[in-house]
Amino acid sequence: MDLLQGTLDMLVLRTLLFGPLHGYGIAKAIRSTSNEALDIEFGSLYPALKRLEMKGLIESNWEKSELNRRARYYRLTQSGREQLHAEHSKWAEFVNAIGLVMGKDPGKAEG
Amino acid sequence: MNWPNLKYIFPSRRRAEEREMLEELEALAAMAEPGELGNLTLAAENARQTWHFTTFDGTFADLRYALRTLRRQPGFVAVAVISLALGIGANSAIFSFADALLFRPLPIAHPGEVLNVSNSTPENASEGLSYPDYRDLRASNHSFEGLVAYRAPQMGVSLSSSAPPQMRMTMMVSDNFFNVLGITPALGRAFLDEEGKIPGRDPIAILGYDFWSTQCGADPSVVGRTLRLNGVDFQIVGVAPESFTGMEQLFRPALFVPLSMWGRLSPGSENPVEDRARHDLAVKGRLATGASLQSAQAEFDALGRNLERSWPRTNLNRRVAVRTEIKARIQQTPFRLIVVTMLMVLVGLVLIIACANVASLLLARARARGREVAIRLSIGAGRLRLVRQFMIESLVVALLAGVAALGVASAAMRFLSTLQVPNDIPIVLGLALDSRLLTFNLCAALVSCVLFGLAPALQSSRTELVPALKSGGLSGGARSRVIGRNILVVGQIALAMVLLIVSAMYVDGLRWIIGSNPGFRTDHLISMGLDPGARRYTPAQAHDFYRDLSARIHALPGVRSVALAEALPYSYAQTSVAVLPEGFQFPKGQTKATVMGGAIDENYLPALRIELLRGRPFGPADRAASPRVAIVNEEFAKVYWPNQNALGKHIRLNSPDGPPVEVVGIAKTCRYLFPSEAPRPYVYLPYEQNQRSRMALIAETFGDPTALAAPLREAVHAADPDVPVFDLMPVATYETRVISNWRVFLQMVTAVGMLGLILAMVGLYGLISYSVSRRTQEIGLRMAVGASREDVLRLVLRQGLILAFTGIAIGSALAALLAPVLTSGSIGQGTRYVATFAVPLALLAVSLAACYLPARRAARLDPIRALRHE
Repeated sequence: MDLLQGTLDMLVLRTLLFGPLHGYGIAKAIRSTSNEALDIEFGSLYPALKRLEMKGLIESNWEKSELNRRARYYRLTQSGREQLHAEHSKWAEFVNAIGLVMGKDPGKAEG
Repeated sequence: MNWPNLKYIFPSRRRAEEREMLEELEALAAMAEPGELGNLTLAAENARQTWHFTTFDGTFADLRYALRTLRRQPGFVAVAVISLALGIGANSAIFSFADALLFRPLPIAHPGEVLNVSNSTPENASEGLSYPDYRDLRASNHSFEGLVAYRAPQMGVSLSSSAPPQMRMTMMVSDNFFNVLGITPALGRAFLDEEGKIPGRDPIAILGYDFWSTQCGADPSVVGRTLRLNGVDFQIVGVAPESFTGMEQLFRPALFVPLSMWGRLSPGSENPVEDRARHDLAVKGRLATGASLQSAQAEFDALGRNLERSWPRTNLNRRVAVRTEIKARIQQTPFRLIVVTMLMVLVGLVLIIACANVASLLLARARARGREVAIRLSIGAGRLRLVRQFMIESLVVALLAGVAALGVASAAMRFLSTLQVPNDIPIVLGLALDSRLLTFNLCAALVSCVLFGLAPALQSSRTELVPALKSGGLSGGARSRVIGRNILVVGQIALAMVLLIVSAMYVDGLRWIIGSNPGFRTDHLISMGLDPGARRYTPAQAHDFYRDLSARIHALPGVRSVALAEALPYSYAQTSVAVLPEGFQFPKGQTKATVMGGAIDENYLPALRIELLRGRPFGPADRAASPRVAIVNEEFAKVYWPNQNALGKHIRLNSPDGPPVEVVGIAKTCRYLFPSEAPRPYVYLPYEQNQRSRMALIAETFGDPTALAAPLREAVHAADPDVPVFDLMPVATYETRVISNWRVFLQMVTAVGMLGLILAMVGLYGLISYSVSRRTQEIGLRMAVGASREDVLRLVLRQGLILAFTGIAIGSALAALLAPVLTSGSIGQGTRYVATFAVPLALLAVSLAACYLPARRAARLDPIRALRHE
């Protein structure tokens, strides 16, 4: 399933709302919360993390992982939280608008 | 777009980040299933893009690579750098000259805020203001934070009461001059606000820095001492800072005094600061916050109309014009703009020729590098990356040339600094390697880098991969490169042709000037400038002084006659007269004309052998009380009374109710200011009826005039030791100095022409040599099947001559368009002959020589070895 431009950033921010995660953890979390529907390419996810970090929406530290390995954990910053909030309401509006245009499935109505 | 994080500009920072990133990715890979994370290298590469500045890594690498490549080709670098250094250096030198003549901003604080205020009348678009007008405008305007006025007279200055006075350029300035212009004295103080209110009360002076350091030995204790100025003692209160070199571009004032002292320094004239008809103050204003040129002009239009209503007698049709400094300078000295534009165009052409040379070399190199380019392209280098690589190489060459150009420029500037005016007061061009010049030089280097580098770089990056990789042979791209080089060489020859035609026309013009008669004699004459006004003589006293002095000098052995004149031909200090010739209809709005003219005594025309064509000379009968008379030159009669007899006509001087003078004689038109000037009207007035304080005394001698220099000075000393003597020199010196300036100018133009020729010939020679070396095999084959050495010689020469002919033809067409523009104004009057025959033939001969060397090399090829050549 392809993602709309900018949606990936939103998904990352949303995933980090639950708490700090490393890069692989974020990929897994998105996959499982979407019931395996969204399988994010790590090749796209990783640059997105770096981009968000550069914008100051997330920050990272080296921490011990669950398997006692060192890994880089990303967490939301305050401005990341605000950004997520803004994106969230924009997303809701967007979904609503698309829903209004699409209406009921016309194929079903006929059949 | 979000702004790049600046800390990533440092490579060390990026390297640290790189290490962390690799560690992170390794850790993640260990957690995930093998292959689950996909291509990690690509992920890392994409992540790096977010840092920006990674392009710099490439740039540093490119720079290193460029330096390495260039080091391996010292021949190419040398030819390119020398060509460009000559081109850029010539441009920088001319820029510095143009800057000194016209463009350099005033040496004051924030010169951009300062505007020029002048009168504008139907006769003269840029005239001075009178002091009362200035005072009124200063009090009533709101556009300027401060309005200053000044005039720059020459005065007799003596540092002690016993020393003989010397003529110096000085400035009389309004009290607020230093404060408004933001000039802080190096020593002592500026003028105070109240020093300028009461005429004649404040005999105080501020020395110019140059004068202080050369004449007073930079002695700080001069502050407080007195000096004598036109016979009046002044107290020195300060020294101007070194940076303030005056308000004129070429003359540096020796000292500054308050304008309120004007009256005491020029006795005989009525109180000049109350004279509304005396329009000779320069006025500048510093804009107030919120005001603009437009708003200031609008306000001064209204203020000017008020003055016109209140004082119709002196201010009728007199507007007040507000201009930027540069516009005012161009208005006042349009001639300088012509000279500057012309020189800039010529050296611009030289730079283009130089750039064409380097571009041509680069195109030749591009062929040799075809394989390198193809390999880099095939392993994934982008074309943009290649273009960047080539441009960096060009940039290195251009910057090297820019540095070398500074040497060329400073040599040329030393030569230009020898320009002088034929008077005692030196002009100071102040040419120096200053920051403005360095900036210009750098810009010229960068512009030429784009000019010569961009097209070859774009073309090289367009190499076709397969043929280039297969062999180094002539592919389609290479053939278009040869065509490109042909076009460049044709262009070079065409531009060189234009340069040569223009300079040849000037040289021819100079020969004509030197060879032709100026209309007056210069041999057996010696003259000196005198100003008894500097001793506070009234004109009547000065008249007695001159009568007495003339008698003394006439009695000297070796003197044939003695004459007086207000202005000598070719002297810098020319004078003019406002005239209203009888019956002449001026254009609407204009009431009078300002023509050159001056007072002479009855001995002047005979002494200078200025021929009187009709009428009578001035004689002893023309006294102050007798009817007023004048002699005009032929040109005056032709302009104002065409097809009429000028004798007996009347001219009113200065204004419609001025005194009428009768034309009693017509003199032959001679030259007055420049050797190459167009004929101009001139009026001679008898000294007896037009007494002046400042005059030139001319002694006609039997023998060598220089022998009389010392006796003349002694005669003045005996008459009055305090009268300053200046410009004491044979009249021939005026002519040689004027001509030597033209010679400097012409040598400069010729040097520019030769430079263009040499660079173009290097280009032609380079191209023909290159083409011979490319065609070695072909030539060998031709010889093997029977072509003689002459055939080969002809073959190569023909190729060169086709280029030369094409260039000369295009150059002729260009010159026909450009030469009339470039030689317009009063500079040079060349003949058609030179342009149409001499230059093209010379250029053809030099082109032939440039092609002959490689052609001979081709003809001497050993066919066997040539066939094996690759």
